Amino acid sequence: MSQPGFAPPTGQPAASVLAEPAGPSLPLNQLAPEAALRRLELAIVRRLEGFLHGDHMGLLPGPGSDINDARPYQPGQDDVRMMDWAVTARTTVPHVRDTIADRELEVWALLDVTPSMNWGTEGITKRDLGIAAIATIGFLSQRMGDRFGGMIMRPDGVRRLPAGAGRTALYGLLRRMLTEPIVHDNAPGTMTLADGIEQMSRTQRRRGLRVVVSDFLEPGDFELDPNIEPAWERSLRRLAVRNQIIAVEVVDRREVEFPDIGDLLIRDPETNFQRYVNTSDAGARARMDAASAAQRERIRIALRRAGVGHIQLRTDRDWVQDIARFVLAYRRVAGQLHAPPQGVSR
Amino acid sequence: MTSLAFPVTGFLDPGRLWLLAIIPLLVAAYIVLLHRKSTAGIRFTNTSVLAMVLPKQSQWLRHVTVALALLSLVTLIGAWARPNGVDKVPRERATIVLVIDVSQSMIATDVPPTRLDAAKTEAKAFVASLPTAYNVALVSLSGNPSVRVPPMTDRTALNRAIDALQPQDGTAIGDSIKAALAALDQAPKGTDNSSAPGMIVLLSDGASNAGQAPLQEAQDSAKRSVPIYTIAYGTDNGYVDLDGKRNRVPPDPAALKAISQATKGQEYSADNVSQLKDAYKSIKSEVGYESKVKEITASAAGVGLVFALLAALGALLLGARWA
Repeated sequence: MSQPGFAPPTGQPAASVLAEPAGPSLPLNQLAPEAALRRLELAIVRRLEGFLHGDHMGLLPGPGSDINDARPYQPGQDDVRMMDWAVTARTTVPHVRDTIADRELEVWALLDVTPSMNWGTEGITKRDLGIAAIATIGFLSQRMGDRFGGMIMRPDGVRRLPAGAGRTALYGLLRRMLTEPIVHDNAPGTMTLADGIEQMSRTQRRRGLRVVVSDFLEPGDFELDPNIEPAWERSLRRLAVRNQIIAVEVVDRREVEFPDIGDLLIRDPETNFQRYVNTSDAGARARMDAASAAQRERIRIALRRAGVGHIQLRTDRDWVQDIARFVLAYRRVAGQLHAPPQGVSR
Repeated sequence: MTSLAFPVTGFLDPGRLWLLAIIPLLVAAYIVLLHRKSTAGIRFTNTSVLAMVLPKQSQWLRHVTVALALLSLVTLIGAWARPNGVDKVPRERATIVLVIDVSQSMIATDVPPTRLDAAKTEAKAFVASLPTAYNVALVSLSGNPSVRVPPMTDRTALNRAIDALQPQDGTAIGDSIKAALAALDQAPKGTDNSSAPGMIVLLSDGASNAGQAPLQEAQDSAKRSVPIYTIAYGTDNGYVDLDGKRNRVPPDPAALKAISQATKGQEYSADNVSQLKDAYKSIKSEVGYESKVKEITASAAGVGLVFALLAALGALLLGARWA
């Protein structure tokens, strides 16, 4: 299971290692693993239905019970049983009482497109892998008729792609994510993952499923001790109070296994870090691998502490299978995972 | 042993030094290159951990190599401009000044063959007895004393100069002592700028009839602790025929004795002159250095080559992977 089974990797392998990619490394039709999902449908998808999501009011828009606002009566459209007579009497204009249609879950996906995501050594960049993960989760949630929206976190701000229901809307969302201009290396901006998550919890008030796609790497954060919280953990925990969260951690193989490629200049796409490193030093590689493993462990523990579901996807693996495996396991643990601490109500 | 003093006194082709103007340009280019963000190299995302795990390789070797290369360039450009350096040549400082009376009275024949020839013979014999390292200067004593030979160790030239002495008018013993002291000053100075240790051997028949008073100059000599050894020539009935007139020219050993006593020297006569051969032992031998200007292109180029080799070694260490 070293390569996705349904499509060979496209684009220049590892071209993103030398320079920032000019565009997506994966076309839309390969990104959307519909064929794969259809293959998996009987085995997995049908069993997954409803399990990825919290239980909610129903599939179709219902009348709802929460009073939202009074608005003028639209003949033929509104139910006369909903007339708000008090407001009508005060304003002499017929008003109906609007209700919040508590009809469906909204799925919002936050995609981190900072320059460190424009990287991948196995033909697909981490950013495109993240879009693929969003696509997979999106198609899984399609069957519920839920609305799916996206947020793209650039260094200079968050772009919001409005939520829509249905396959066409999802395709549109994915295409817009794919065609979102590549963030250039060392692009100015102060946006951090914590800011992006905060913005997501601020702007999307309605409860639902939230997908956070990132590599969870902060420039300058070299902490390996899992007892020290990463900067984004607090925001993520706050978001998790009202929402169910799946954190998709996107990893490249070479971030975990430091390669042996000789003496070379290594630079960071986000910071002005530059250093000559002798990667042929086996001891240095071992230290680097150990540190990377500790770093990933810290991220895993922090995500667990925040009470969010955690998928780790790798650019050299089949993400559809990884997500399917996650969803099957998630089914068993979700209730426990997202349960509030004892004595605390949600 | 020739020690090279690197301070350069001048250049034979100073125009070529304009090439040094490229050095600041190279330094500026190096600094710019250091601070420019390279677009080469490998992008890597997890550099914060990388920076912690793999500490920065120290850059001093690189800077030192560049500095050595620049130094080599500077030195080689300097060598191309053909520098003049000061070469210090060690030289014996002890100096003996021979003052030979060439006045007309010295052609008296009371000392065979003449007083002058006897003095010349005596002087040459004395010089031959001196250690070859000692400097000897020659001053002719006449009405107009002059330094015939500056302090030097070339005995052949000295002997020729002694042979070439011709009788002249006048006897200015005072002036001749002054000239002898001046000749002594031409000897290499010591490190503390003191004048060379020396002695004056005055071969004369004694009667000063011109210039400064001999004793006054002898005091100067005594102040500089330069002893004057005097050798008196002639007998009381010596005479010379000048312009058809016979002049009696008795020597004045008393005056010479006064001079030598004033300067803690010794006076000799023709009888005991052989004792003079030991007189030089009283002056101490001292080695001084004398600076000499000479082209040091080869040395500069050699230094430049050493810098270039070190820079190449540094580049090799920087570039090579030994394992």
